[in-house]
Amino acid sequence: MEIRNKQDVRDMARGAAFLGVGGGGDPYVGQLMLQQEVLKGRYPRVIKADELDDDARVLSVCGIGSPPVLVEHLLSSRLLSELMDRMEEHLGYSIDALISAEIGGLNSVMTLGVAAQRDLPLIDADGMGRAFPKLELVTFSVYGCPASPVMIMDELGNMAIVQSRDDATAEMMSRAISSSLGAMVYSALYPMTGRQVKDFAVHDTISLCYSIGKCIRESREELDNPFDGLLALLNRPEEGRHCRLLFDGKIVDLVHEIRDAWHFGTITMEANGNPDDVMVVEMQNEYLAARHNGKTVTMVPDLLCILDAETAEPITGERLKYGQRIKVVGLSAAPIMRRPECLAVFGPGGFGYKEEFKPIEELNP
Amino acid sequence: MRIGVDVGGTNTDAVIMEGSRVLASAKRPTTEDVAGGMVAAIRAVLDDSQVPVSDIHSVMVGTTQFINAFVERKHLSEVAIIRIALPLSEGIPPLVDWPDDLRAAIGEHIYMVGGGCYYTGAEYMPLDEEALVKAARDIRDKGLEAVAITSIFAPIRQDYEERAAAIIREYAPDVAITQSNQVGSLNLVERENAAVINASLMRLSRQVIDSYRKSLAALDINGRLYVTQNDGTLMSAEAAEQNPVMTCSAGPTNSMRGAGFLSGLKEAVVIDIGGTTTDVGFLHHGFPRETTDANDIGGVRTNFSMPDVLSIGLGGGSIVAGDAEVTVGPASVGYRILQEARIFGGSTLTATDIAVASGQADIGDASAVSTLPSELVENALSDMHSKIETALDRMKTSARAVPAVLVGGGHVLVSRSLKGVSELHRPEHASVANAIGAAIGQVGARIKRIVEYGDSGRDEVIRQVSEEVKRDVVEAGGIPETVKVVEIEEMQMTYLQANAVSLKIRAIGDLATGD
Repeated sequence: MEIRNKQDVRDMARGAAFLGVGGGGDPYVGQLMLQQEVLKGRYPRVIKADELDDDARVLSVCGIGSPPVLVEHLLSSRLLSELMDRMEEHLGYSIDALISAEIGGLNSVMTLGVAAQRDLPLIDADGMGRAFPKLELVTFSVYGCPASPVMIMDELGNMAIVQSRDDATAEMMSRAISSSLGAMVYSALYPMTGRQVKDFAVHDTISLCYSIGKCIRESREELDNPFDGLLALLNRPEEGRHCRLLFDGKIVDLVHEIRDAWHFGTITMEANGNPDDVMVVEMQNEYLAARHNGKTVTMVPDLLCILDAETAEPITGERLKYGQRIKVVGLSAAPIMRRPECLAVFGPGGFGYKEEFKPIEELNP
Repeated sequence: MRIGVDVGGTNTDAVIMEGSRVLASAKRPTTEDVAGGMVAAIRAVLDDSQVPVSDIHSVMVGTTQFINAFVERKHLSEVAIIRIALPLSEGIPPLVDWPDDLRAAIGEHIYMVGGGCYYTGAEYMPLDEEALVKAARDIRDKGLEAVAITSIFAPIRQDYEERAAAIIREYAPDVAITQSNQVGSLNLVERENAAVINASLMRLSRQVIDSYRKSLAALDINGRLYVTQNDGTLMSAEAAEQNPVMTCSAGPTNSMRGAGFLSGLKEAVVIDIGGTTTDVGFLHHGFPRETTDANDIGGVRTNFSMPDVLSIGLGGGSIVAGDAEVTVGPASVGYRILQEARIFGGSTLTATDIAVASGQADIGDASAVSTLPSELVENALSDMHSKIETALDRMKTSARAVPAVLVGGGHVLVSRSLKGVSELHRPEHASVANAIGAAIGQVGARIKRIVEYGDSGRDEVIRQVSEEVKRDVVEAGGIPETVKVVEIEEMQMTYLQANAVSLKIRAIGDLATGD
């Protein structure tokens, strides 16, 4: 895959909104940053993890803050560059490649921008294959690669290094620092080796993200129904990937509640012309579970995306509104995400559900 | 008494109203200079109603001229773009996502300046006044006429933009300045875009408003001039000169508000059939349901509250095509309908010809369509009705049947009951609903900001902000006793430790019009 013009950048951002499963921050700000780099002729280079040496030094960068604040603060490329410099100084070695911790939402597109700016390769992988609300919810953490040291900076030159006992504590400390600095800071974290990335990352998600965005645009232009193209791309049982069109209808109720800074929501949809055919999607910052007339059809960490019924444009959680005509698509999580040790962290139990995880392909044979 | 005018792409409509009574209405072709069509339409309603011009207390105009100018890249001024946020936002300068031709039309006069505050209002860096002085000198030396100033979190704290405007004026006293807090809400890129669009239109808006004033003077009307804005409320002509961008979706808003007014319904679907398109939208509490999606204006992303309207290619001038499978639209003869439709002696079969053939409308020469095969008429009618029904279904939020109001010059296309509609209203004066919407005569104001309920508590904070909004309505000309809050929207903010809420409050009141 190559990202060399505005259209490529937009395709990438559209894919990131899809894989953001309702959250992850609006990729638009990252899109604008990456677009700036691309228009200057600095194209991001995406490589496969197996092109890395085992002892290669890999790092993640991500934003920590509140999505509505992000759209006022925007981004500073200078800051991101300085963050990289200072982190390399702190670690005592230079970085060979970047990896996005979170493919969905802002972070993957922004990391591509940093990769372009620093002329570093970006690995075609991430730590979850979707979006999650906390920095410890990544495969890296599950398999013992610590987030620390987490270097946190803002545009004004404020800087902190979080060295924590565990990744959940790193999340709490980083969140507190972010709050005290206007609720938007940037971090460099999860220093890893090439070997660790090969063993523990969720692979090929950058190229998947780009192909989803591209497929939606092309299907919209070429097919009567863009969802046909999307399903043909994503439903490949022979490759272990399962995708289902779960619902076609409109939003009839939205309930939001903020508890402990987390966004809990319930989205109720009705099928067109049949008020008795109802789907409910439950969210905690991201969409977690879908129930069709009371029957569970998708459960975290499998992915859920709500898209515009006509254009198949993914709709992020904050842009959902009463009356929207939508379709709901479910996608199987990557196999690594369904291993028992991963399910223990970001399976249903990790979000307070009592039920067991069941794969989307079993729930919807 | 008051006159409502709607300047559309094809027709200029006018009505004269007293209280809630429509005394006369008229439709005249829109002229190249706009003023000509406006004078003709107003003169027609004055003649028809015999109301003396001295009784006209106010004239309300709805126009799409400004938005059209921007979309067509015509009559735009170059704009000095000042952003106050550094060192924040440095990586995403102004205009980055604008189409190239627009960027060239606006010029790339960008000044990024230090200073700003957090969402809490706490300052992270004072305003860099030296940088502003340098920018002001440069603006003066370049001879730029329009300036757009955007500071970070301007909807929460306006003082950075106000101070910057004062500095610019010291050096370049004649420039037209737009502050982002006047035209946009939270989201810096979208608010800045709105401010730049607005600044680029200010010279045009002065000319246009001036031509309206001259039209009224030519008719000896001394009443006050108002322009309708996106949410259906009015602003003074002076305010419209300052904020032309606030008029950009007044067209659909006016016709929906007019439909609500004529039918007396507060909750209904409005089907507005024009010459080329049909707009379907919902009235909720008497106002158009709004969309919160990011929307594009001429390829530029903005976040205005716009009426949530679905447009389909079906109107009075839509061309009827096919034999076995008849389809109507989206191709249309548009304003050439008076020459091209069969009933007007032309050779093109249009949707209006079908309406006449079906007996629903009595326009032009009915004998020109009397020999149409009944099967063709039947199939065309089915296609037209089913297109409207599909649009209706897409916009509805529940399966329950809803009352519908038919307005617009093309309302005669509907001759049967519509699926999903409980009762179909076709009010008198339906074809000039947009001009009536303009003449309803309400003023409004809204405040959107991030608040913390903290010690004073939710109710107290909402009460204080409500009072502030109501004062703004009175300042805009509202009769104090009629001012009321019509909308309170709270959105909790995620990932914040503090209990911060994005609060939006809107109030409206009746305009003092002397009726």
